[in-house]
Amino acid sequence: MQLIDALAIVLIVAAAAAFVLGDAALARAEDLKALYWLIIGAVSVRAGVQIARPRAKA
Amino acid sequence: MAPPDERRNNGPGEGQATASPWAAILAGVSMLGPAAQASVPGLYAWALTVAPAAWSRGAPWVAKATAIMGLLSLGASVVAERRWGAARYVGVWGLVLTSSVTWVLAPAALSPLHLDVARGVAGMLGWALFAFACAAPALRRSAYPDARLGDEGPLRPRTELRRGDGLYILGGALVALALQTVGWRVNVPERALLVRVVSLAAGLAIVAAVTSVALARHGRPTQRPSEREARRLRRDKLRAGLPWLLGLAMLGILGLLAILRES
Repeated sequence: MQLIDALAIVLIVAAAAAFVLGDAALARAEDLKALYWLIIGAVSVRAGVQIARPRAKA
Repeated sequence: MAPPDERRNNGPGEGQATASPWAAILAGVSMLGPAAQASVPGLYAWALTVAPAAWSRGAPWVAKATAIMGLLSLGASVVAERRWGAARYVGVWGLVLTSSVTWVLAPAALSPLHLDVARGVAGMLGWALFAFACAAPALRRSAYPDARLGDEGPLRPRTELRRGDGLYILGGALVALALQTVGWRVNVPERALLVRVVSLAAGLAIVAAVTSVALARHGRPTQRPSEREARRLRRDKLRAGLPWLLGLAMLGILGLLAILRES
């Protein structure tokens, strides 16, 4: 496995953690925090997919 | 392409020996009639959502009677379907109508205070499976149970799949499942629904991303690329991900600034 592939996997794991934090914040009715974490999750997913597979759609 | 002699099976029992346990389960289910196939999820849904309501504290005896009638209609449809083709409808409508009457007679049993979340979700899945089993065509027994696709044995794949794909998919599925465990104690129904929708969308995004990363491994040439080519590939990948990494860095700085402002 190349370093760049490991970076893609790390980004997707980070995205999963961000989604969990966003979901938990949404359940606690902390909407601004939820939005922040969910945006971070979406951007991380996109970054991970683009690094692993350029020009792919997530 | 390999010559036919190489692709031929070694013996008549080879196809059966490699049959998966799922194929055996499917074959067993296909021996049942349509009503019997639908009765399994129907019984499951009845046990989770109707019986607890009928036998809850304060439920009238009529609720118990209608619940038992629902179970009887399900059993009657299984017994009668070999002689009477329309018996399936007795099972479907008998269970649905008697369950509705039971819930109307004992409404307190379905309130959020009395209904456990896990049981509620399991019951919802049970009714969804029952609806699917009733609406979808039933599994039919094969006319040629011992027949195989061809005399030349199983087809050979054009290319070998890389190992480890299952681990990628398993990881993505576990993350998607973990997301479903968040936010089950929300009291406001609208917010609870929003949390479920968001967690479902997030899980789908993670599964799609993991699948893309796993597929990226298959697109590579079988021969090791030259050093120059590998460098160019790395540069292309970084260039494609750079705008998103910059966006991520900006979001990180914004988060830090918000934390500093709060403290």
